[in-house]
Amino acid sequence: MQLNHAQRELTVKVVYYGPGLSGKTTNLQMIHARTAGEGRGKLLTVETHDDRTLFFDLLPVFFHTKGGYTVKVKLFTVPGQVIHNATRRVVLQNADGVAFIADSRRTASQENNQYWGNLQDNMRENGLNAAQVPVVIQFNKRDLPDTKTDAELEETRARGKEPVIGAVAIRGEGVLETLYAVLQLAYRKMDEQAGLGRNIGLGEAEFLKLVFARMDTGGTHIADWLASGGGPR
Amino acid sequence: MSEGGDSGRPRHGESAPRLDERPLSVLERRLTLGDMLDTATFAELVKSFAELYKLGVKVFDDKGNRLADMKSGNGDFCGYVFSFPEGKRCCTQTVARVKDGPLATTQNARAPQAPAGTKLHGMIAVPCFTGLRYLVLPILWEGDVLGRVVFGPFTPDEMGDVPPSLTDLTPGLDLAQAQSYLAKIRRAPESTIVKVLLHFAQLLETLVAAGQKTFLTSQVHIEATLESNRDLEAQNRRLEQMNLQLKDMDRLKSSFLATVSHELRTPLTSIIGYSEMLSEGLVGPLNQEQTEYVKTIMDKGDTLLKLISSILDVTQIEAGKVRLSFEPISVNDLVTSALSSIKPQAQKKGLTVDLKLPSRAVEVRGDREKLRQVMVNLLSNAVKFTPKGGWVQVLVTEAKFQPELDADGWRFVVQDSGVGVPSDQLEKIFQSFYQVDNSSTREFGGAGLGLAIVKSYVEGHGGTVRVQSELGQGSRFEVVLPVQPPPPRALIAPPLSEAPPAPVERF
Repeated sequence: MQLNHAQRELTVKVVYYGPGLSGKTTNLQMIHARTAGEGRGKLLTVETHDDRTLFFDLLPVFFHTKGGYTVKVKLFTVPGQVIHNATRRVVLQNADGVAFIADSRRTASQENNQYWGNLQDNMRENGLNAAQVPVVIQFNKRDLPDTKTDAELEETRARGKEPVIGAVAIRGEGVLETLYAVLQLAYRKMDEQAGLGRNIGLGEAEFLKLVFARMDTGGTHIADWLASGGGPR
Repeated sequence: MSEGGDSGRPRHGESAPRLDERPLSVLERRLTLGDMLDTATFAELVKSFAELYKLGVKVFDDKGNRLADMKSGNGDFCGYVFSFPEGKRCCTQTVARVKDGPLATTQNARAPQAPAGTKLHGMIAVPCFTGLRYLVLPILWEGDVLGRVVFGPFTPDEMGDVPPSLTDLTPGLDLAQAQSYLAKIRRAPESTIVKVLLHFAQLLETLVAAGQKTFLTSQVHIEATLESNRDLEAQNRRLEQMNLQLKDMDRLKSSFLATVSHELRTPLTSIIGYSEMLSEGLVGPLNQEQTEYVKTIMDKGDTLLKLISSILDVTQIEAGKVRLSFEPISVNDLVTSALSSIKPQAQKKGLTVDLKLPSRAVEVRGDREKLRQVMVNLLSNAVKFTPKGGWVQVLVTEAKFQPELDADGWRFVVQDSGVGVPSDQLEKIFQSFYQVDNSSTREFGGAGLGLAIVKSYVEGHGGTVRVQSELGQGSRFEVVLPVQPPPPRALIAPPLSEAPPAPVERF
């Protein structure tokens, strides 16, 4: 997070992490498609000819608060291929929240674990305290055969403190919910560090409301969560 | 997280020292218009635009730095007006308003004339006191104002003659002259210029998007490369550290072995000495059986002494305590002398020993004792591992250029018709204590130190030793040594492998 009082600007960084081809770029594409033009920048993607992310993707979402601050939420993806670890570490620097996109298929468990370990390693290398940076797990590709059952997702959820969200990113299912969950936790973390509510008059409800104000949240849980101040677990 | 300025340092709860070594990533910096535009290409675009529409075009970043500036047709007119003191003052004021003034309909600016429903993206019109006009458009990117585009001055279509505001301010102005200069400036309806400027803005947005992509990816690529470098350097440091530790451990081991060997040798010398006195009858005659027993004690004692001496040699080499002392040597004499020491065993086994010396004596520098030991070790191995009735050939070459050494050198070759060495163990036989057959019931004795000593001494002379062998057919050991050896070198410790970290089970 970068809080610039002189320019009255708050920049929040969210990184979509996970194994190659788990759907990180698809998540950003769906958010881009569901956000009105004036509330977001262009989606910057750098892909190879076989649709693999080469460096990162970047989607900026921005809005103005009642207190006169400009808030920029920058959504990044990392390249999933093993050889790009240095790039992953560069992109992960100073992340305020991480959405870990896992492939739900049973065959992907080993790779998910491997990248989970890689995330912890890179956080440590970046001087980030893995216990303090909020992470949300998205189990993507729920529509494919041989995926883990809901009961198994429940087991994963019980094994750690991270919220776990099922998704079919290619159809947009679970994408905004994942973003909501990671931003909610990121806000709480930033508020704890910098007192956003006290210092710039930006509360959690306003923050989340403004992020999703220009997004098409139809068919998602976002409206309910915004109304109740709740979220996934 | 950072607070306060653009280049604020990250201040996370738990900060590793590495963070301080690293500048803020380009992904967290606020980019300027100059970062994202290739200025040379952009200048070309602005030039062609200005020429096509006969309009002045200027582009500034948010700090007021000029990124592009093309004039078109207004030079003479503006220059003429500027030559009058009051004209100069007003002109400077207008230019400042256009360049640095607020991007709002205040301070003399108003909304431009455009067909209803046109999205103006914050464009303003700024009139000049001469009656000319400027259009100014903010460059917006991701909600930030990155700079502004200024179009003009142009002559609004509705403008007739030079306005009174100009003639009043600049007494002495030659109206005919001013009119003729004015005719060179593009005359157009304001709404037309608005359209052109909006089109220019679209082009600019495309350029900025492409430029941002190129800039960010190339910078991230550089950062990632530096990151990889840092990784490699850290790994190198770890390996160096580990290597030092291993060398220390190795020295410790060698020093321990040297001490123990020394302590073993002292009492053993007494055992052999007293046995000798016994066998020589110095304390009274022995019967035949007693003599045989004492001889066995002496024989075994001798074997043990040789073994301990070898261990002492190896450990001293490994502890870096061996200093080779080089002197002029006649290779022919040295080989002949070494050969004579193994002749008795060879004869006992009925081996044919053949020696080929070069016709001209080979004169080199080297450590006489150590080279003699190299030869004796290779020769006694040949004799030991060659069955009865076999042969051993020894060859010494003349001193000449040796490609392996890239210097003048000579070769000492020992070939035998012995049991040979399995091909997968050829590399290992030069290691200390290595035995091809390491079973407890093996046929050939020895501690497996002879070749390790050979290798150390040869390498200490700056030479190499090679082996070729075929199982059951025999072996060929070839030593290449320089005529002029370089100063002695240290040994290299073997690498250790680290245990892999335990896998994380989150999924």
